[in-house]
Amino acid sequence: MSDFQELIKSFPKTREYVRDFFVYGFKTREEFREKSPRTYDNERRRLESWLGDYVRKDYVSRSSNISQGVNISQGVNISQGVNISQGVNISLAIDSNLLDTNPLFQVWKTKSFTDNDIVLHFLILDLLSDSRELTAEEITEHLLDEYEALFDVQTVRRKCNAYEKEGLLQKKKVGKTIVFSLNLSLISWIRDRENMADALSFYQIAESFGVVGNYLTEKLDHRNQSFRAKHSFCVHTLEDEILLKLLDAMNGKQEVHLEMKSSRRGTANTADCTPLQIFTSTRSGRRFLCGYVKHSRRFTCYRLDTIRTVTPLQRLPKYDELLSILDRNREHLWGVSFHGGSRHLEKLTMKLQVFAPREQYIVNRLKQEGRHGTVTKLEQNVYQYEIEVFDCNEMLPWIRTFIGRILSLTCTDKSVEQLFYRDLQTMYRMYQIEETK
Amino acid sequence: MELFSEIYSCYYQLLRHILCSQNALTMQEIREQISQEGFGESMLSIIPKLEDGSWNLFKKDGDLYRSKISSAFTVPLSALEKSYLKALLLDPRIGLFLDREQVEYLQNALAAVSPLWKPEQFYCFDRFSDGDPYADENYRSCFRTLLQAQKQNRYVDIDYTSPKGNRLHHHYVPARLEYSVKNDKFRLLALQPVSSSFALRSRGKNRNLAHWKTDAPLMNCAALQSTQENSVDSCPKNNLSRADASTLRHAQETTNFKLEILNISRIRSVSLLEKRLPAPADLNAIIRRTYYREPLKLRIVNRRNALERAMLHFANYEKNTTKIDEDTYECLIYYNQGMETELLIEVMSFGPMLQVIGNDRFLNLLKNRLHRQYGIAPSVQ
Repeated sequence: MSDFQELIKSFPKTREYVRDFFVYGFKTREEFREKSPRTYDNERRRLESWLGDYVRKDYVSRSSNISQGVNISQGVNISQGVNISQGVNISLAIDSNLLDTNPLFQVWKTKSFTDNDIVLHFLILDLLSDSRELTAEEITEHLLDEYEALFDVQTVRRKCNAYEKEGLLQKKKVGKTIVFSLNLSLISWIRDRENMADALSFYQIAESFGVVGNYLTEKLDHRNQSFRAKHSFCVHTLEDEILLKLLDAMNGKQEVHLEMKSSRRGTANTADCTPLQIFTSTRSGRRFLCGYVKHSRRFTCYRLDTIRTVTPLQRLPKYDELLSILDRNREHLWGVSFHGGSRHLEKLTMKLQVFAPREQYIVNRLKQEGRHGTVTKLEQNVYQYEIEVFDCNEMLPWIRTFIGRILSLTCTDKSVEQLFYRDLQTMYRMYQIEETK
Repeated sequence: MELFSEIYSCYYQLLRHILCSQNALTMQEIREQISQEGFGESMLSIIPKLEDGSWNLFKKDGDLYRSKISSAFTVPLSALEKSYLKALLLDPRIGLFLDREQVEYLQNALAAVSPLWKPEQFYCFDRFSDGDPYADENYRSCFRTLLQAQKQNRYVDIDYTSPKGNRLHHHYVPARLEYSVKNDKFRLLALQPVSSSFALRSRGKNRNLAHWKTDAPLMNCAALQSTQENSVDSCPKNNLSRADASTLRHAQETTNFKLEILNISRIRSVSLLEKRLPAPADLNAIIRRTYYREPLKLRIVNRRNALERAMLHFANYEKNTTKIDEDTYECLIYYNQGMETELLIEVMSFGPMLQVIGNDRFLNLLKNRLHRQYGIAPSVQ
C-alpha cells in the first residue's frame, strides 16, 4: 500500500472529483461508484488538504436520516439537511459573493515534482540572476562551486531545456556552444508598477484563465483586496486545461478529436470537429466549444466540462471560410443550439403587460437581454417581443422569468408553446394557484 | 505551455518565501510559515526533505537554516504568463488600469508573444448589451480615483445619478469594486456614513442595508440590526447577540455606515478626501449579516437534467444539497435581499423542475408572480 501523497501527477482524475464535490456536494463515499473506495478516500483527503477552509462535512446518523453540518470554516454557516445515505457527505461550500479569488485555483498548484526539480529550480534561477550566460556544463560546475550541489550535466541540461521551453530561460548558440540566460526585465518592470498588480487582481477573478492571473499575483506577492466578481462561477476553472488545448488548435486552424463523457448518463463518446469559437453563458458560467462537424456538415456545441481529452489533427485550409459561415449563423442563435443543422428559423412572439414608466425596467430588460429580438409598444401597457431563432426551446428559461406579465406566447414551433403552457399549469397546481384565486 | 506545472505549485511558492527570508530561520519558524501558506498536510512532506537535506537549499548553521539563494531571488515570467498578459492588452478594460505609455511598453516587450486568447475567440451569448463605457475618460478617471480611495481607506465625495434620475451627492468609503460578468458593469460597494439616529431609525426598515459603526477597531464593528426583529423572513441569518445590541446604546457617539451599491457608470464625478478609516472594514462580515436566517429551500425532481442544471446554475451561491429519495433532492440557498429578485427569476426560469418549499417570504414572492400571471392569462392555449 503506497503512502498518501498530497500532490498529484496528473490533473484530469482530480478534476472529476473536485467538480463532483463542488457541484454535487451530497454524495457519500458509497455514491462515488466509479472508483474504488480507497481512491475516493485519497481524493477526499487531498481535497480537505488543499481546500480545508471551504470543505463542509455532514455526518449522517445511522439511526435516522437526519444529517448535521458540523464543520464549516471562514464564516460559512452550519445548517441541517436530510440524507438517505449513511456516512459523511463532503462538499465544497463556496459563496462567490465573499471571494477575493477563486479557491479552486489551489487545485492547479498541486503538481508533484522530484527533489532534483525543486533544487534545480531555485539554484539555476539564482545562479543566472546576475545576467550571466552559461552553458549547461558551466552551470553544473557553478552549482557545485557556489552552492555545494552536485548534479550530472545531463540532468542540468534537461532542466535548462525544459525551462527554455516554459519561457523561464533564454537559450542561444554562441559559436558551437549553447548558452542559457535569464531575463528579469519584464517581471521587474511589472513589480515596480502598482497598477499592474491592480489589473492582475481584477483579471484573476473576472476573466478567462484567471488561474494564470493568480500565478502572476502570487509571483508579485500581491493579494487582491480591491475587486469582487458577481456572476462568477468558480468551478469552470477546472476546464481551463481543455480550453487551452482547444485555443491552441483554433490558433493553428486544426481539426481536433474529442473524447467526452456525458454528464447526464456518464456514457463515453467521441467526435472529430473543427474548433471555431468558445461560447460562454454568463448566467451559468458554462462554456461550450462550437465546432464544425465535417461528417454531418453542421455546427455543433460541446460543453467544455464534458470534454476529457483533446487531440489536435490536421490543419484545415477552409478554416476562415467556416468562421465566416458561423458568424452568419450566429445571428440566428439564442444560445448554443443549431437545432440539428436545420436552416429553418422559428419565430417566437411574446406579449407582455408592462405598466410603463413605473415598470420601464421590464422594457429595458427585453432590450438588454433579448439579443437580436425586437421590442414594440402595441398599446398602453402592452409590449411585444419578437424574435427568429434556430431553436426556441432554448428560450424557455428566459421566457419564464417574465411570468406574471405574459399576456400571450406564440411560436411557430408549437411544441415550445405547448411546453411553456403545460409547465405553467404544472406550476399553478404545484403552488395551488387556482384554488386560492 | 503547461497550465498544470510544478513551477506554479504551492510548494515552490512557499519555498521561495522561506528561502528569501533575510535572516536564517529556525525549524519552528519554517514550520509556522508552512502552516500559514501550505496545504493542510504540506508539513508532513516538506519538513523531512529539509531535515534530511534532500532539498539541498539551506546551509545548516547550528539550529538555524540559512538560505543558499539571494533574498532578491526572482522568478521570471513564463511563456504562459507572457501570453496571458498579451491577451489582457486586447481587453478594453485594460485602459482602466494602465496608461497609454504602459500599454505601449508591454506591447513592445511582448511583440514576439502570441496572446493566450483573442477576444473574437469567445462569444458570450447572454451578456447584457449595455456594458460600461470603458474607453470614456471620465469613467476611467472615476474608476481610478475610487480604486485609489479603496486601497487607502479614504473617503470620497461622489456625485451620482440614481436609476430614477435623481442627483445624489454623498461621502462614501469604497469597500470593493465589483464586476458583474453578466451585466459587463462595475459597481462600487461603498460604505456611506449616516447619522446615528438615521441608522437606528432605519434598522429593519431597509434590510438591504447593513449598518454598523466604526467604533475602533473597525474590524469589530457591530451591525445595527434589531435583535427583536426575529421573524423568520425578516431577520438576517447572523443575528446580533445581546452584547452586540448593547453596543447600540453608545452608537450615537460613533460614526455609522450603511452599505450601498452604486453603478460606476452613473457616477458623474468623484473626488478624493483626506479623511480615512483607521482600518479596512470587514466586508464579508457585513455581507453575511445581511443574509436571511432562513435560506431558500428548493425541492428538485431530477427530470430533464434539472439536478445538474440547478447545481451548476446556483453554484455561485452558498448552498447545501441533500438527497431525499432516488430522484428527489433538497437544496438550501443562502441569500440576502439584494440578491432576492435575481434569485427569484433564476428559480422561475426552471419552471416546475424546481419547487420552492421555503422560506415563506420567497414562496410568497413566487406565488404573487403566479397569481398575477393566472390573472392575466390563466387558460391553456
